[in-house]
Amino acid sequence: MTQPARHAAMLSISNSGSNLAAAAEKQQPAQHLHTQSQSSQGLRVPSNRKTIYDRHLNRSRNAELSRASFAFLFAEMVTYAQRRVTGIQDLEKRLNEQGYPLGLRLLDLLFYRTMSSSTSSSLSSSSTSASPPNRPLRILPLLHLIHGPLWRLLFNRPADALEHSVSPETPNEYMITDNDPLVNTYISVPKEMSMLNCAAFVAGIIEGVCDGCGFEAKVTAHNQPTEMWPGRTIFLLRFGESVMEREKVLERAGVK
Amino acid sequence: MSYYFTILSPTDVPLFNIAFGTSKSGGDGIARFRFPDTAQYMNQFIIHSSLDVVEEAQWMNGNMYLKHIDTYPPASAYISAFLTPSGARFLLLHQPPQLPTNNVSSATAGSGSILGSSFSGSGGSSSRASASSVAANPTSPQTEEAVRQFMTEVYENYVKTVMSPFYRQGMEIKSSVFRGKVTAAGRKWL
Amino acid sequence: MSVFSLIIINKAGGLVYQREFQPGLRKLSTNDYLVLAGTFHGVHAITRSITPKLPLPVTAPATTPTTSTPNAVSPSATSTPAPSTVTHSFPNPGIPATGLETMETDKFRLTCFQTLTGTKFLLFTDPTMTNIDVIMKKIYELYADFVMKNPFYQLEMPVRCESFDRNLTGWLRGRA
Repeated sequence: MTQPARHAAMLSISNSGSNLAAAAEKQQPAQHLHTQSQSSQGLRVPSNRKTIYDRHLNRSRNAELSRASFAFLFAEMVTYAQRRVTGIQDLEKRLNEQGYPLGLRLLDLLFYRTMSSSTSSSLSSSSTSASPPNRPLRILPLLHLIHGPLWRLLFNRPADALEHSVSPETPNEYMITDNDPLVNTYISVPKEMSMLNCAAFVAGIIEGVCDGCGFEAKVTAHNQPTEMWPGRTIFLLRFGESVMEREKVLERAGVK
Repeated sequence: MSYYFTILSPTDVPLFNIAFGTSKSGGDGIARFRFPDTAQYMNQFIIHSSLDVVEEAQWMNGNMYLKHIDTYPPASAYISAFLTPSGARFLLLHQPPQLPTNNVSSATAGSGSILGSSFSGSGGSSSRASASSVAANPTSPQTEEAVRQFMTEVYENYVKTVMSPFYRQGMEIKSSVFRGKVTAAGRKWL
Repeated sequence: MSVFSLIIINKAGGLVYQREFQPGLRKLSTNDYLVLAGTFHGVHAITRSITPKLPLPVTAPATTPTTSTPNAVSPSATSTPAPSTVTHSFPNPGIPATGLETMETDKFRLTCFQTLTGTKFLLFTDPTMTNIDVIMKKIYELYADFVMKNPFYQLEMPVRCESFDRNLTGWLRGRA
């Protein structure tokens, strides 16, 4: 279970080139690099000189997205993920992979927005309400972060439940429940694929958030329909052994 | 004061680095390290050697800004760290100018100009940043606050980089606009 | 005051959805429903092409009748070409002929709604029922939401969307 977090795997692919580049850079004076990088880059700047760095990150903070356009986009994402899949598990894996990078990004954005807002309301449900917000060090603050602020950022409401596995054999399992996941609102899964839950995408986002914070975890989405909530979904978070070990050490050290 | 700033990915891959000098109290923003001929790689060594301390402090302190965490006395290099929630580390090495009493060695080092125009500051320049200035004392609360402001501003631009759909985690940050923003933040706060 | 049943016909005249909301209706076999859908599709095309046109005094551009689909060609359809010298218009100028919209009997009322893409919604209701356009609009909305936004629905194929069924029954029950 003590496999490296997915960062490492992703990096080894994406960064093999830049590693070399970084090594090469060490041969040259930094200041020299500075001028070089400005001149030799084929970077195109928009004519109005507005790059992403000139836009404020809170600009779209209270903006609302059309539910219909998201539904169509997500439907296309599912269709795309469905191409040449070998089975339901493969499809869920692909959806998970689509969500994962999103989780990493949202994590940074979430903290930035909490830092920059004077009220610091969006992280208030996490155990650390002082501003600037604290990085989660233990599992529980992390779960509160996902259950509250992250869910509010994504879906404009907190998740419906947060539970710890009751079984003594699996102390590393936690469950987050959403009674009616937004991504599944318009989706009817065919009978022959009844195991599939397209909220695997959201599970990927959660996984990205956990991994980003340094909590290696596997997150899966499972159908748990009830009479009242036919779309009820449980996100099962299974933390890795290294996380559980660290958790014990931190508990002894009295870190909250 | 001279600065060396670097961003490391969660797996310790350098994503970005820049060297600059203070712009406060009449500084011209050009880095003048004490040992300019070895600064290029020594700074990186010193910064990377502080990672152990960072990784220890990371799980004891939930703050994003970890303040001054490490010192390397032989080069009188002070390291401050800032951690993004997604695990990237911002490390800033700052080296106060040598006191005027040691001016002789700094003058010879400065006039060496081995590494091209960027390091060929005049020998007397280090005495300009007098000990009375805020930035000259690397452990004073004012410096901590200035570094925090600098880190926060870089973090904002880092988030903007990360939010770009063309950026994947662990990729080197090559944008010249980003570099310009970091330089501007350095000029503003340090 | 009740909705008896709903039929959805695709643009080629195939039955894609059929549902009864009222107990005690006479049961039809699946084959009968397919025939019914195909027949209605033909009749609808005929009614569209025999829609009478009114002569216009001014020389406004006449709205040409939409060509009927091949399987609906009938002798009566060919007998209505407008003389090219006189301009004609449909009763609602600017709106092309749509074909059969409602049909009333003493037992039920049949309302037909055709979308821009040629899908037809057939609603069988109580003849005394009013505000059918509201119901039709809502059904269209539910169709657009739960069928068209479903990544597992293939266009022009039979609708098997559990959430569409659920929301449709839920909404109709809430009205009753």
